[in-house]
Amino acid sequence: MLEAKHLSKHFGATAALDDVNLRVDPGEIYCLLGANGAGKTTLINVFLNFLDPTEGEARINGLDVTQHAIETKRHVAYIPEQVMLYGVLSGLENLRYFAALATGRHAPRAHLLVLLSDVGLDEAAALRRVSTYSKGMRQKVGIAIAMAKRTRALLLDEPTSGLDPKAANEFSQLLRRAKDDGVAVLTTTHDLFHAKQTGTRIGIMKRGRIVADLSSEALSHTDLEALYLQHMQG
Amino acid sequence: MVRTIAAKDLTTMFRDGRLPWAGGVVLALVVTAVTVGWQRQREIASERAAAQALDYDDWVAQPERHPHNAAHQGMHVFKPDPPLAIVDPGIDPYVGSTIWLRAHRQSELMFMPAQDATGLQRFGELSAAWVLQVLGPLLIIVLGFDAFAAERELGTLRQTLSLGISSKQILWGKALGQFWGLGLLLGPAAAGAAIVVVAGRGEAIDVDAAARLGWLGLGYAIYLAIAVFAVLTVSALGRSSRVALVTLLGLWIGTTLLAPRVASDLSRTWKPSPSRLTFNADLGAEMGRMQEQAWMANFGVATQWSPDLPLDKWGVALQVDDHAGYSVMDRHFARLWDTFGEQQRVQEWLGLAAPVLAVRAFSMAISGTDFAHYRTFSLAAERHRRVLQDLMSEDLVERADPRGTGHFDYRAGADLWRRMPPFTYAPPPVSWALRNSGRSLAVLIAGLLLSMAAAHVAVGARRTV
Repeated sequence: MLEAKHLSKHFGATAALDDVNLRVDPGEIYCLLGANGAGKTTLINVFLNFLDPTEGEARINGLDVTQHAIETKRHVAYIPEQVMLYGVLSGLENLRYFAALATGRHAPRAHLLVLLSDVGLDEAAALRRVSTYSKGMRQKVGIAIAMAKRTRALLLDEPTSGLDPKAANEFSQLLRRAKDDGVAVLTTTHDLFHAKQTGTRIGIMKRGRIVADLSSEALSHTDLEALYLQHMQG
Repeated sequence: MVRTIAAKDLTTMFRDGRLPWAGGVVLALVVTAVTVGWQRQREIASERAAAQALDYDDWVAQPERHPHNAAHQGMHVFKPDPPLAIVDPGIDPYVGSTIWLRAHRQSELMFMPAQDATGLQRFGELSAAWVLQVLGPLLIIVLGFDAFAAERELGTLRQTLSLGISSKQILWGKALGQFWGLGLLLGPAAAGAAIVVVAGRGEAIDVDAAARLGWLGLGYAIYLAIAVFAVLTVSALGRSSRVALVTLLGLWIGTTLLAPRVASDLSRTWKPSPSRLTFNADLGAEMGRMQEQAWMANFGVATQWSPDLPLDKWGVALQVDDHAGYSVMDRHFARLWDTFGEQQRVQEWLGLAAPVLAVRAFSMAISGTDFAHYRTFSLAAERHRRVLQDLMSEDLVERADPRGTGHFDYRAGADLWRRMPPFTYAPPPVSWALRNSGRSLAVLIAGLLLSMAAAHVAVGARRTV
């Protein structure tokens, strides 16, 4: 569903991505770990065609993202580290707007409220202007937008950043439900615990390269932490 | 998609107060300008009608006198105020509305500052046209400077693009949102103006005025659309909303306030027109030559009004003298007015860089307040002057010349005065105005296409990260 083949992205002499090969199939959650500047967000940006690769290709649902920029984005939902919304609109209005753009139709208000409720925003909160929201509340609206899109793939860039533990746990449960429904998920994170708890596979990224590609089941939390620190220090 | 984006933009413009406040100010100015213009027009229309009737009554009621004295008294003609002058008074306030028709010389409606009046010169004059031409783009800047720039800064543009929406769709959505906002503001004002213009005089519905208003609306719609796409272009290219705003304000000052002055000076440099003094001197000199030739050919004397001319030829001599000057006046005035026309054309072409020049020309032309309309009025007035002059001279030939040395004892009365018809003037129809405005309309359309192309290139060129 999500595939990177010999993907490189250079900014001048700096290689943000260096021969990255990756494949996330339906029903998989691939958690990409790495320090700041490792290239995780660049990889997401290339998949979203916000950046053109220097070499190689990124494919979504078999389509090259540079050649099918619009169509490939319709197959994925994206949640950034900081979901940016319109402050003068309510959470419900933001969801209605982005969901309409994503699906091409206006969903009923009741359906949208259920989506917001599923991510932990009650109606009173949903009707408030987003300018009054905390970061976590914005993040929840972003998750609702992604859910409204009903895509077969998710691209998540530090999605639980700013969420309280309860909300982060609920989000992990949402991801697992999505996985069970056959959705392919690529998520970046600093959170080893979240990666182990949620991911089916875990990649460790360093200086633009995936230096480890592991099965989550075969690792304990301790093993993952040790492995991660080993790669970061090496 | 496009409508969804437009509706969201309209909502945000309302909620952040820009549309109600900035738009409200512009709307209030437009409504005030139209109301004041309507009030002014009602007063002017009644005053001019009364003055025209009074002047003709004075002509008919003049005492028995020598017809040439009556020709020197002459009469005054008043240019009717076109219905759309309440929207765009054009050069009306500068050239006046009255021509004195008198013997021997064509009176002037020219050399007035408004022929090349610039935005700055007209700054003090509040008209709906001025508000739309000058403040309209400023309103669009206020509404749209951050359309792309702020969304890129906030990250909402990235959020939108990640949904599989093309940048072109966003562009059109934002443009449509701006059009809706402007329509909400200006639509009711335009409807009000339409009622006033088409039926506000208490007469039958003025079809020509309605057609002119429709074309005027189209012209301003194109002009404002140019501004919308130009603002979106700069917003898409700007590094930040602040940079976009500063850039746009600079462009607004340059293209809306300064360009008219520069264009006026350039047009006069490229297509120089004579000073009033030079024009009159050249006209007088050639008229003198032609008239002397005519006197020599008809009466064998080289000097006009020579004592050698017998008085029984005085009436004929007036005819010969006047007719000898007609073609000279026609040629000189045509050349002068053509030069003004060329200056106007230069300014209209410069409208590709500063659309206010093109829309100003189009607006005045469609409103019937441009120099071309004045030219037709002046020509009609001159034709009427020649009718008056010829009528008086023919009467002298018939009735005074046969008296020989008693020529100047002849007195004509009301019978002759009544033979002079009152002045009537029908302004050219909208089709004529449109033919004259083809260039400025074409420049506006070209400007729109250019700004649309620029906006498309800009949103395509700038990535979100």
